[in-house]
Amino acid sequence: MVSIPWLSIIVFSPLVAALALLFVPSQSRAATRVIAVSSTLVSLAGSLVVAFGYDLARGGYQFRESYPLVPGVGINLDFGVDGWGVSLLLLTSLIIFAGAFATWTLRNRDKEFYILLLALVAGVFGVFVSLDLFVFFLFYEIAVLPMYLLIGIWGSTKKVAEAGPFRFIFRLLDIGGKEYAAMKLTLMLLIGSAFILAGILAMYYSAGEHSFSLEVLEKAHYPRSMQLWVFPILWMGFGTLGGVFPFHTWSPDGHASAPTAVSMLHAGVLMKLGAFGVIRIGMVMMPEGAAAWAFVVGAVAVINVVYGALSAMSQTDLKYVIAYSSVSHMGVVMLGAATLHIDGWNGAVYQMFAHGLMTGLFFALVGLVYEKAHSREIFRMGGFARIMPGIAVFFTLAGLSSLGMPGLAGFVAEFLVFLGAWEADAKTLLGHAGIPVWWWALAGILGAWITAVYVLRAVRAIFWGPGPDLERYPELTDFRGPEWVAPITLGVCLVVFGVAPMLLLPFIDASSSEYLEVFKTAALAGVIR
Amino acid sequence: MVQLALFALFAPVAMFLAIAVLPPQRRRGVLAGALSSTVAVASLGAGIAALLRYDGQPVERTVTWLVHHGRPIASVGVFLDGVSLSMMVVVGLVAAGVQVYSLGYLHGEPEPHIGRYFAWQSLFIFSMQSMVVAPNLLQLFAGWELVGLCSYLLIGYYWTKPSAAKAAVKAFWVTKFADMGLMAGIIVLFVETGSFDWQPGLAAPVATAVAAGLFIGVMGKSAQVPLHIWLPDAMEGPTPVSALLHAATMVAAGVYLIVRAYPIFEAAPGVLAFMAWLGAITAFVAAVTAIAQDDIKKVLAYSTCSQLGYMVAALGSGHAMGGYFHLTTHAFFKALLFLGAGAAIHAVHSNDIHDMGGLLKKMPWSSGLFLVGTLALIGFPGTAGFFSKDFLLEELLEAGQLVPLALLVVSAGLTAFYMTRVFSIAYLGDPSPAAEHAHGTPATMFTPMAVLGVLALGAGYFGARLAELWGFEYAFHLSALGLATTGLGLLGIALGWLKYARGVDVVPSLTGLRAFIRSGPVDTFWDRAWRRGLLPTARGIGWFDRYVVDGLINLVAWATLRGSEALRKLQTGRAVDYVYAVVVGLVIFAAYGTIAR
Repeated sequence: MVSIPWLSIIVFSPLVAALALLFVPSQSRAATRVIAVSSTLVSLAGSLVVAFGYDLARGGYQFRESYPLVPGVGINLDFGVDGWGVSLLLLTSLIIFAGAFATWTLRNRDKEFYILLLALVAGVFGVFVSLDLFVFFLFYEIAVLPMYLLIGIWGSTKKVAEAGPFRFIFRLLDIGGKEYAAMKLTLMLLIGSAFILAGILAMYYSAGEHSFSLEVLEKAHYPRSMQLWVFPILWMGFGTLGGVFPFHTWSPDGHASAPTAVSMLHAGVLMKLGAFGVIRIGMVMMPEGAAAWAFVVGAVAVINVVYGALSAMSQTDLKYVIAYSSVSHMGVVMLGAATLHIDGWNGAVYQMFAHGLMTGLFFALVGLVYEKAHSREIFRMGGFARIMPGIAVFFTLAGLSSLGMPGLAGFVAEFLVFLGAWEADAKTLLGHAGIPVWWWALAGILGAWITAVYVLRAVRAIFWGPGPDLERYPELTDFRGPEWVAPITLGVCLVVFGVAPMLLLPFIDASSSEYLEVFKTAALAGVIR
Repeated sequence: MVQLALFALFAPVAMFLAIAVLPPQRRRGVLAGALSSTVAVASLGAGIAALLRYDGQPVERTVTWLVHHGRPIASVGVFLDGVSLSMMVVVGLVAAGVQVYSLGYLHGEPEPHIGRYFAWQSLFIFSMQSMVVAPNLLQLFAGWELVGLCSYLLIGYYWTKPSAAKAAVKAFWVTKFADMGLMAGIIVLFVETGSFDWQPGLAAPVATAVAAGLFIGVMGKSAQVPLHIWLPDAMEGPTPVSALLHAATMVAAGVYLIVRAYPIFEAAPGVLAFMAWLGAITAFVAAVTAIAQDDIKKVLAYSTCSQLGYMVAALGSGHAMGGYFHLTTHAFFKALLFLGAGAAIHAVHSNDIHDMGGLLKKMPWSSGLFLVGTLALIGFPGTAGFFSKDFLLEELLEAGQLVPLALLVVSAGLTAFYMTRVFSIAYLGDPSPAAEHAHGTPATMFTPMAVLGVLALGAGYFGARLAELWGFEYAFHLSALGLATTGLGLLGIALGWLKYARGVDVVPSLTGLRAFIRSGPVDTFWDRAWRRGLLPTARGIGWFDRYVVDGLINLVAWATLRGSEALRKLQTGRAVDYVYAVVVGLVIFAAYGTIAR
């Protein structure tokens, strides 16, 4: 029996669709959408097959595929998924499926938009299944670059008031424009990529195996002195995409300017690439470096959580609120990662999944509100729930998940991370080295409360109260037709994975347990003195 | 028994999903209400049947909820013992009563709103019951947060009203603020013991840390000073909601948590002493505040704070019986009081006691039931409140907590005074103009009140039975303390009646006190913390991020652009310049080569 190459199907079906779209006349909007949606459905189906077919008892990488690419320097198209891969593939295919519906009403060069969107998502899928670092990096760039065009062409502009010590810069850079946002996002992420590339090459040469294979490089031992500088550059490189403070400022501008489906995909999945890279490439390959830097990573993550939440609270533009909330929640992922503890890592990956769903839902709704109200000024809205009860309900649902309401996916993730943070104090390397980190958990819990403050404040300001002023907002409606698909898909998943974490957690747990083995070696015990 | 309990748990959530997911049902609110209250009654029936089948052996059924390294670390399920089963019945009873009552109370509201109301009510029953039957602190926390959510949604039932919207958000913020402590406590418990169970035998420092964390959560949910500020505002919700959530069950969740986790609290004497003091202070402060209120629901809200203070203080004595007994009786009589107040508000369309007046003549039956609730709250001999209050005071005396005890005894007198004030102004005398048109109470509203009235009168006689069910000890005996408390209560009634029904100036004018309370000192403090602390901090951080952190990034971009502009000038396009550059370069290299050699 020939086994079906499911991973290739998942990765390449969006690319094939993008190619097919080239031959579709741009007037036929229906055909464009049918092709785009069906390719995302194929990927979704593939992800489900992989999730159900993955043998938890066996663990490790499964659904392996390998094709030689540049054998001379050891580059192969090598695919495979473990438990983390399964979860993140599922997340990606859910988000792109929902996202394909979220820009249904686009009227401006919609064919080109879908082509770029599909190319981007193929890159994301590729990163999660690649077991070859070179291919991994290639897909990583494919995922990042289309963003420039997507934001630059289809984005929206918002002026930022000139103020602060650097106000003389504003005029030169046209700060707040969509071109500015696109440029800033792309350049910052590319600088990050340069760091990543340097890190990957350092590993390649230090291992000396003439192979980019992840499994080969994993087995090599890297000298401690090298790990101590390679880990931080990988952390900064991937961390830029993961929204790590202070390299997060592309995110509010980028997400606010991006069209709906792009913000959904970017905040929902692309930022996870960054966090995934920090853990999978940075921490697992460079355990000694990671252990030495864990305290810094965690402390910065705490800044992300609290600082991001406070920044979100101070925003008056709806998209900025959600963008800063992503910065805050990605901090939770990094906090979990920094614990180097099983619960923390399970929580970190669960948070990637939960936050992806939640923020995807958020941006889908925010996009709709913006489309219908033509405004994003929260404190000028009010009473919208009367006209858009469906949007109000789903917005509240996403908000509740973000503030950690039990029964929704966000709670499972945040709780595990906070649990892991406190446990790291006593039970892991950090604890043995006598570095107190229990306050990470307290800061995280505080961040969750601040989230409750700004999310419910936004809900109240937008949806509750008297109103709405129909003269100011004449086009308000609830969801219509295809607009229902994204919120229902994502909302149902938020509830299902919040009520029954056992559907997903065992996958994540299996991989976390395997990866954490690297921290158990005797050589590490004395690492972080 | 387990199946019955599961039915009691899941029937309401199925109802919630049915109402929420099927739009036709939601839009036809009266139908949704009828179905929902039927399910609530059925759920109550299942709860009672489960209690009747309880044979003294606790039963636990759980499934794994969280894992690590492939091993379970947390489970969800049901834990059925006397404590949880009786709470299940209390919750089910009040909830079913309130739902039936709501059918009458909400009559005439827009139908989709009624549908939404009953959806949240059904969700509330599930959330509360899942908290009650929780086998460990993690599930208890989950249910705890979910009832907080229901409270937020139900307070915000009139969401177009800005005051209701504000009150809903405030309730959520304040309780969630306190829940930070609860969550930290649970995490510490797990880190130290490897499980979320409330097991005995914790070392004192660990027990103290855990209990302190848990108690911070209790202070928010059960409205202890200074975190009680959300409860009076929560009265913006419909009156049946206040009866169910903000009087009988949800606010008592904190007390229930302490009873459940008592093995941990027992090992933390410092926390127990703090509870006794804080509970007594809450009871006293809230009782004083209640005297100055004119809104009948606000009086009852402060009275709820005050009674919760009694329960918390009693649990600080080192015995769980008194506090839990009072929780049970209080659920009946306070729900009755709120439903009675709702009937009055329904009749005169105002919350102000001065608008009521003479209701006893207009609606004698429901007024009579309100009187029953009032007497039970005061602790009039023979009513349910008398037995539970008397017992908890005895416990404190035994524990030697004399100052808290004194505060509670004085508060008993104050309670009698403020309740007599309300009853005299609103129900006695001649009907006021608004009350002239008061109509009788519909049967859907009256029947639940009658059931609660019977329990408010009779539940006290089952103290010994309940204690046996819960595994505590109880015996009633008349003591000097009981007589003194009763005497103070009667004095309060007499003074209140003389002053407010007869107009005799037996107590000095309360204008100064009223002015002070009306200024809301505690509220002002928190408002300042919000306006002058959190908001400016957030704004400052937002500004810093936008203009300094991002500014630095922009500075790099600016420097690159300006730098390249400057460098561009080197490319003049004149051949002579390039020849000069080449020559200068050659000279430099030659010079370097010479020196380096």
